[in-house]
Amino acid sequence: MAVLHAWRAARVTPLGELHAPPRMTAVLLRLTVQVVLVASLWHGLYAHTGTTAGLAEGQAVSYAVLAVLASRLRELDQYAGRDTVLQHMHFGTIVYWYLRPVPPQRYHALRALGEQLYGFAWALGGYLVCLAAGVVDPPKSLAVAGVFFVSLLLGQWVLYYVMLTLDQLCFWTVRNNAAMLILIFAQNLLSGVYAPLWFFPDWFITLSGFLPFQATLSVPLSLYIGRIPLSDAGGQLAIQACWVAVLHLFTRFLWRRAARRVISQGG
Amino acid sequence: MTRSIEVRGLSRTFHTTVRRPGLAGTLRSLVNPERVAKHAVSDITFDVAPGELLALLGPNGAGKSTTIKMLTGILTPTSGEARVAGVVPYQERERNARNIGAVFGQRTQLWWDLPVRESFSILRDIYEVPKAEHATRLGEFDDILELSSFWDTRVRHLSLGQRVRCDLAAALLHDPPVVFLDEPTIGMDVVVKEQVREFLRHQVEERGRTVLLTTHDMTEVERLAERVVLINHGRLVLDGSLDEIRRKFGSTWQVRATLADAHTEVTALPGIAVLRQEGPQVVFGPESPDGPDSPTVHQALKAVIERYEVTGVAIDEADLEDVMRAAYVHAEAV
Repeated sequence: MAVLHAWRAARVTPLGELHAPPRMTAVLLRLTVQVVLVASLWHGLYAHTGTTAGLAEGQAVSYAVLAVLASRLRELDQYAGRDTVLQHMHFGTIVYWYLRPVPPQRYHALRALGEQLYGFAWALGGYLVCLAAGVVDPPKSLAVAGVFFVSLLLGQWVLYYVMLTLDQLCFWTVRNNAAMLILIFAQNLLSGVYAPLWFFPDWFITLSGFLPFQATLSVPLSLYIGRIPLSDAGGQLAIQACWVAVLHLFTRFLWRRAARRVISQGG
Repeated sequence: MTRSIEVRGLSRTFHTTVRRPGLAGTLRSLVNPERVAKHAVSDITFDVAPGELLALLGPNGAGKSTTIKMLTGILTPTSGEARVAGVVPYQERERNARNIGAVFGQRTQLWWDLPVRESFSILRDIYEVPKAEHATRLGEFDDILELSSFWDTRVRHLSLGQRVRCDLAAALLHDPPVVFLDEPTIGMDVVVKEQVREFLRHQVEERGRTVLLTTHDMTEVERLAERVVLINHGRLVLDGSLDEIRRKFGSTWQVRATLADAHTEVTALPGIAVLRQEGPQVVFGPESPDGPDSPTVHQALKAVIERYEVTGVAIDEADLEDVMRAAYVHAEAV
């Protein structure tokens, strides 16, 4: 029942970042450069076009900029903080996760929650600046904003489980670098970070519908810009919730198996 | 007698895949892997009483860390059973976690990017230690380990000695009755080692904690341990006090006496042999080093001085390192 105060473990990431001002400056610079470049790129692409793939210029730019901001939600420098599962496996410090009254799965979830809340603060700040500067369009209505928020929440939940699966892979392979590279590329491509999925051929969109990636970002952003109408929102939210449930069961199963495989360097 | 740690027939076998050499061998291993069983710990039985500091010794790969991992609940034994503070550690990990503290060598449990004090606060929250109690305990630890001079520093900037002191404190902040220390002073300088030893002595003598310590540092064993358990190849080969071990493996003393009269006829004393004589210089040693009634070096010295008129005397006694080396060699031979 060690949950009353253990939630404070969520503070680790924000505290770590606040103690490393150069990292915060780097994030600010990276975010600014990316937003400017992405907005310029999409404005350029639409210079001689009205509507492409069902998206007008404002929608496309808003989608791309929001994708950049949202991708900051879980792209913190955990590696520098020596707090990835990969590093804990490598250094043998994963044993401490099993020596505390908070189970490893709960601790992992708390850490991720802290990361995402911290990342959300960055994304929200960037969004408000972009909104004020007219780089992104505001949501069409309060209802759209509300549905977008719920969908974004579910999307981040799905993303957490996808990333968790990769972390859990370390219990079997010790290293997950190759899988991480593949996943990051797949996640960025199939969730629409590189470009809205609406620009891809139909077969590609159909294929990605069987994977969890588009539920992470493409769905909430499409709802925001109106490419998915509010009337279809219920179905999309249900699909996202299904992914949450399926991945929750799968990762729970993996945690149980991982507990039997806790190994560390040395006898 | 109530026991803090009870170990009964504890065994752990690991199954690993043998990698055959060469490209063809590697391919064969992929298609038809050969699995072998490695018995890391075999049928170990011992107890540790409350407030006792036990040194679990053995050469590298003997099974010490595997034993500790089973007692902390990280590993499940293949057979046998263990209880730590009345809890079966691998069956009730969370309950066991509240009763134990652990330090694994140079592996830190502190958060790399945070100042030490923030790490302590997070552990306080995880273990739900009341704030006042936490502050009092931290103050007590600071008195011996001198943590306050660097506890506002980020863990990544600490020296090894500072970090291990912080890890010791972190392991005990929730006031566990049982502590497992797996080579806690490895790589540390003598000053910090002594500080850590003083801290451990304080925790055992004043706080009544039970400590199970593994180390290769025999000075540490000599200064801290009342009892030693020696394991090798996963098997328990010896369980006894330091005196018993010395008696069994360490009676290799020599007494070098310079006689007042070089022409004195020197004969053996009860249990004491004359190893060599060159003029007035005589070297005495135990008649049968492994014998149960073999005299100690002090008894031999007394006997020599009483029998002969000597003008000078020197003692060569095997130190604990020699004793343990003899014990390890003996264990290999068995």
